[in-house]
Amino acid sequence: MDLVGILEQGLIASLVAMGVFISFRVIDLPDLTPDGSYVLGGAVTVAFMYAGLPWILCMILGGLMAGFFGIVTALIHNKLKVNSLLASILVMTMLYSINIRAMNGPNVSVPKEITAQQEAQYTERTKLDDILGMSTSKENQSNLQVNETKKTLSPFRENSGYNSTILIATVVSIAALLTIIFLRTELGIALRGYGGNKAGIKNLGMNPEIMSIIGLFLGNFFAGLSGSLFSMYGGFSDVNMGQGIVVTSLAAVILGEIIFGRLNLFYNMLCPIIGAVVYQFLLALAMRYGYTIGFQSSDMKLITALFIIIVIGLRRVEFKKWLSLKTSE
Amino acid sequence: MKKVLTTLVIVSLFTFTFGVKIGITQIVEHPALNKIYQGIIDYVEDSGVDFEYEHQSAQNSFQNAITIANKFKTDVDIIVAIATPSAQAAATEIKDKPVVFSAVTDPISAGLIPKFGKNPGNVVGISDMVPVETHLNLIRTIFPDAKNLAILYNTGESNSVFLADQTKKFGLQLGFNVIEITGTNANELVTSLNAQANRIDVAYLSTDNLVASSAEILDQVFEKNKIPVVAGDIDIARKTSVLGFGFDYYQVGIETGKIVLDLINGKKPYEIESRIVGADVLTFYINLDRARNLNVNIPQQFLEIADEIVDTQ
Repeated sequence: MDLVGILEQGLIASLVAMGVFISFRVIDLPDLTPDGSYVLGGAVTVAFMYAGLPWILCMILGGLMAGFFGIVTALIHNKLKVNSLLASILVMTMLYSINIRAMNGPNVSVPKEITAQQEAQYTERTKLDDILGMSTSKENQSNLQVNETKKTLSPFRENSGYNSTILIATVVSIAALLTIIFLRTELGIALRGYGGNKAGIKNLGMNPEIMSIIGLFLGNFFAGLSGSLFSMYGGFSDVNMGQGIVVTSLAAVILGEIIFGRLNLFYNMLCPIIGAVVYQFLLALAMRYGYTIGFQSSDMKLITALFIIIVIGLRRVEFKKWLSLKTSE
Repeated sequence: MKKVLTTLVIVSLFTFTFGVKIGITQIVEHPALNKIYQGIIDYVEDSGVDFEYEHQSAQNSFQNAITIANKFKTDVDIIVAIATPSAQAAATEIKDKPVVFSAVTDPISAGLIPKFGKNPGNVVGISDMVPVETHLNLIRTIFPDAKNLAILYNTGESNSVFLADQTKKFGLQLGFNVIEITGTNANELVTSLNAQANRIDVAYLSTDNLVASSAEILDQVFEKNKIPVVAGDIDIARKTSVLGFGFDYYQVGIETGKIVLDLINGKKPYEIESRIVGADVLTFYINLDRARNLNVNIPQQFLEIADEIVDTQ
């Protein structure tokens, strides 16, 4: 068990969980955009790293681009009067293509300190080549190109001078603190009010559409930030890496709520963070000990889903009763 | 609940280790990838060395791929990573133990190794690159008048995108007009194929997971439209094609197993060459039934070197 690794991954995941927390809990608009905007955050980050921008800027740009698509979701939801869930599914679908455009392919690796690269080519002669009269010049062509040195390297690589755990923790704490401060401002209170009562905000002379735009921007900004960190941490960005991210983040948020209950704003903001870390830890436990009790790797999805159901169920009193009855027999 | 937990703890205490421990991480459960895993295990077991292994699938979740890599970092001695994302996760997370990748078509642009052959560092493996140029020359020879060549692949699969680029490059040289038929799921792929079927002279299928999974339904469309197919993957060829020239993924597993065995026997990753699956494991498949149906003439010299001929008449 690499506890540090689990903590790091949990903290990275906690950013999406914070985003999901804002859209599902604070403004109460179910939003699936993060399935796409998480990838966009990673894609934009890696693209700008190749352009040689400093990684902090790459990360923020990734977050902002992701947040922008949160605004798109909000606009579709407001202007076309469609359910936010449908609006977000549409944007998520759009993002699949956009992400491939951004990365110029389905998968891109973070710049590395490699000075020479050759193109991968099939160089062996096969038994068909003679019949087909193909030239015999299938030798290993090592057309080594020296890469430009202006690209940015990941802060998570070894000997980068950063401690990865502290780095991730810093980003998460800054994000959480700023969010807490923001939610205490007048605008933040209005945002929470919008979540409580969508129409009521009008009576205070505020525009509810603005509220949904701000909320979904924030939610996806955090998703993008998380995707950005993940791609730098994992060394690559892939168009499929956002699949099901909202579902697992929601599970993490709910898990955090079980641990903390709903007390006040400060503790509520801790729910997604602690929840994501605990969730990651439980997942690692299941992977570690699942086999000893006869699971196979394809059962993991089943375990994950059952686990989420149990976690959600734990919030219900009758479920707890039923559970206690079952165990006492 | 408590009982379950205590048994868990007790059971885990009694798992003792022996020999070398291999951790196999795989991005998703898929026939071709499972064959690789099977090939690796069979090869290492047959060699008689003392080892144990653990197999983990990330169920297509990239976060899980990293979690698995993190777990293997502390738990196993040799890491085998099947398919690009799993390999990228393992290579990023693990720096002090050998990482063997398999079924990564282009390990160079995936950032795993700077070049084929021996490389410094802890990453070594097998690429499942197919001889695209040979395939296209084969198509040109058998179908001299063909103009429109269709390639089918999943736009979300990096291996396939790389092979598609290769196909376009070599296809241009041989005077083909390459039509790309793409989708991100079986439904989109078939729709796209139906939409363009009447323009296609010949179709070329390569090692794409989506094409492999939807081979049966694609075959129906090809048959209905009288489109001859040439495949660069033997499993796909058996289901759809007139001609096939490629490797069985079980063989890729065997080749990967050879590297794993070298590592178990004390070799270092930087002493082993990263390479493409060898030409000697490529199987040449000819289906004469389909050839007759489509009026395709296959010269005698090809029949002489075929490894597998389907002919029910």
